[in-house]
Amino acid sequence: MFAEEKLIPVPFDVYRFDPAQGGEPRYQHYELKLAPHTPVLSGLLKIRDEVDPTLALRYSCRSAICGSCAMLVNSKSRLACRTPVGPEVAKHGRVVIDPMRNQPVLRDLVVDQRGFWSNYRRIEPRLLLDPSRPMPEGRPTQMTPAQVDRFRETPRCIACASCYSACPAVEADPEFPGPMALAKLYRFVVDPRDGAHDERLRKVQLSGLWLCLRCHLCTEACPKDVRPSERIRDLKELAVRSQGATERGSRHAVGFLENIAEAGQLNEMKLVRQTDGLVGTVGQLGQGLRLARKKPELLKKPRTIDGVEEVRKLYEALQKDEEVPL
Amino acid sequence: MQRHDVVVVGAGLAGQRAALAAAQAGADVALVSKLHPLRSHSGAAQGGINAAVGAEDSVETHIYDTVKGSDYLGDQDAIEFFCQSAGPTVVEMEHFGTIFSRGEDGSLARRAFGGAGFPRTIYAADRTGLALLQAIYEHLGGVPVTTYEEWFLLSIVVRDGRVQGIVALDRRTGAVEGIAAKAVVIATGPAGRVYGRTTNAHSCTGDGIAAAYRAGAYLKDMEFVQFHPTALLESGILITEGARGEGGYLKNRLGERFMSKYAPHVLELASRDVVSRAIVTEVNAGNGFPGGYVTLELMHLGREKVESRLQEICDFSRSFAGIDPVTQPIPVMPAQHYMMGGVGTNIRGETNLRGLYAAGEAACVSIHGANRLGGNSLLETLVFGKQAGTAAAAYAKDAPDAAVTPADVDRETAALHALEDRKDGESPQRIRADLQQTMDSRVGIYRNPDDLHRALVEVRALQARWRAVRVEDRSSTYNIDLTDALEVGHLLDLAEVIAVGAIARTESRGAHTRVDFPKRDDQNWMRHTMARRTPEGPELSYAPVAYTRWEPKERVY
Repeated sequence: MFAEEKLIPVPFDVYRFDPAQGGEPRYQHYELKLAPHTPVLSGLLKIRDEVDPTLALRYSCRSAICGSCAMLVNSKSRLACRTPVGPEVAKHGRVVIDPMRNQPVLRDLVVDQRGFWSNYRRIEPRLLLDPSRPMPEGRPTQMTPAQVDRFRETPRCIACASCYSACPAVEADPEFPGPMALAKLYRFVVDPRDGAHDERLRKVQLSGLWLCLRCHLCTEACPKDVRPSERIRDLKELAVRSQGATERGSRHAVGFLENIAEAGQLNEMKLVRQTDGLVGTVGQLGQGLRLARKKPELLKKPRTIDGVEEVRKLYEALQKDEEVPL
Repeated sequence: MQRHDVVVVGAGLAGQRAALAAAQAGADVALVSKLHPLRSHSGAAQGGINAAVGAEDSVETHIYDTVKGSDYLGDQDAIEFFCQSAGPTVVEMEHFGTIFSRGEDGSLARRAFGGAGFPRTIYAADRTGLALLQAIYEHLGGVPVTTYEEWFLLSIVVRDGRVQGIVALDRRTGAVEGIAAKAVVIATGPAGRVYGRTTNAHSCTGDGIAAAYRAGAYLKDMEFVQFHPTALLESGILITEGARGEGGYLKNRLGERFMSKYAPHVLELASRDVVSRAIVTEVNAGNGFPGGYVTLELMHLGREKVESRLQEICDFSRSFAGIDPVTQPIPVMPAQHYMMGGVGTNIRGETNLRGLYAAGEAACVSIHGANRLGGNSLLETLVFGKQAGTAAAAYAKDAPDAAVTPADVDRETAALHALEDRKDGESPQRIRADLQQTMDSRVGIYRNPDDLHRALVEVRALQARWRAVRVEDRSSTYNIDLTDALEVGHLLDLAEVIAVGAIARTESRGAHTRVDFPKRDDQNWMRHTMARRTPEGPELSYAPVAYTRWEPKERVY
């Protein structure tokens, strides 16, 4: 257990901004003395209760289950209630608090989550039944522990939006539904009760699935270990397996895979054609020619590397191991 | 002004289930909540939901266990209906998409819970509330219901002998608006924040209970407050009863499984009032660890079981207490957890006010009587949420049009301005801290008349201080200082009712333990406390307990 801990000085710099009142965003400094294991949220509530009741933030359960108090703690998306101040002070010398990213600030640490929720609603987050496969009358469906395991960590998601805040693809492209929505979609795609798996996979391929940058910042930010980036990877695999490669991202991925399996290295010209098709490739001719002038070898078909058999074997083994069960 | 047939206030499990039922009955439904629905405190429920679906179990046993658990204060007709509804309710939630834990054969997994004759608690790891909340929210997404997210209830409007709607504050803009409705369902959860040491979320401030009380509804059995035996020592964060259901031990400083002295047959799985009293008795007798606590041991269950079935508990203990339950005992003490009392309703969720309904922890039917069994509260939210929503929609179909007038709205706006315009006065946070101090120290597990009387005096002094409360924040956007002040006003009303009820009830029953009246007194007290608001404070009357087949017996576990 936490031994009787000595109080340490904890300097807080907290983002303050009230658009309704005008003025510029600023940081307000507060000095507290806290035990090192004190959660950041407790520090902020102490500020509210004892120093400055005008500080606005969302919070409720203080036990990492309601998902209200996500914010930036020293620039990282965190749940304030389960982030202790001690390590923050040790590493950064202070606790700098900002509102989450990718959501407009309404006031101080309170952000407008309407975009986050509407992206979530885009994936149709509810069971869609196949009329030919109704629920069993008067009793629960049978689902083995192995089937329950297929949900992976997704039932732990508390929709705190930490992943959404951390995601550069959300920032770059409004088409991208965000890590939480896609992890949620995965949860329905592997649900044996759901009757719209193929339709869900078809739609998501065309609405932003391949915009994920595979940076894994969502998985790093997730306080509940939902691992959204892994679920996005699984969705990509399931989508290609169910629908084939139906748009740029998936065609690029499949083309990449085929190139390597064929020759052990990329054939850039072929990959462009595979990704964008003949017509799309024409559009990129200018850029292609400029590149070819600098690196003429790009125009030649790359030779097949020695030991390509080994590569193919590796692929086969990996595919067996990694296949997402459905 | 907005207008709907039915307005449901509170969007946890009870509120969402009520909204669903009312919408399915054809009503135009609005769901109003001060939090986003998925942030509701229902999501914090860990252990599970009871339904006697096992081959060896029976609805009859579930009824008996609930009656006995209630210490014979639960209404037996309501309990029968409640337990009979359990199986269909769980099946429905499974069909809505709840991801329950499963046994090897693919059926719903069950675990043992306190006060239950058989393992009948169906669960989703140790986040059953979250699993159910997600499922009902997802299901409700496919049903036409207007949601007012982050709207704070200010008052229930009653005129011409019936409900006319509500006045609420849009927290985002600071606007005060009337929402006319023929029927209003209160599903705002408990007022656990009357106490400082509580497992409840900060948002559990009894707003709907207080609004109903102010509007003239009876509050029932408010003195019955459940203290959960195992909350983390420092933070009061809940450690599910499922931890004992999976085989966890409670031990004192001497290494004894002390529950053998208090519940020789079922030990750690006695009902919550019994276990909480035992822990406090041990600590008071000097058998606690230094600092005053006992430990919950899970080490003997093995890493696999602990980490798979009690994932959240592992996470909580590690991040909030610096304890790894796989290898270390968890220091625990009881904390306020649940309110058996609430807005008095019948089995259909109807209150004494025409057009006003209540469900979930905000309501008191009563099925929990003097002590609730673990696993029965999630079930209650769904069974009686549906009842209240169905009844509200049926009533609204034939009720005359309702209206919230500009005067209704102006009255609330003026009250808010009065708080904000005050130049001096105390902060709501100060008053709240003093209230919690009073309730923690004087209206706890063991209650003596001196402390109860002093608590009442202190609460009334705090009410006087609250009338001069000052809101420092001037912003119209997310003014938490303002909602803090309103919430503290609600808590003070309800604390007073709890104290008055506890002073009057000169017996010990379930969670209400009077050291000066240590025995249950069926002759005089097998009846419900009904509290009505008057200018002088709560006025108590009593209502009979409905009983059908189960004669009161001494409770032994």
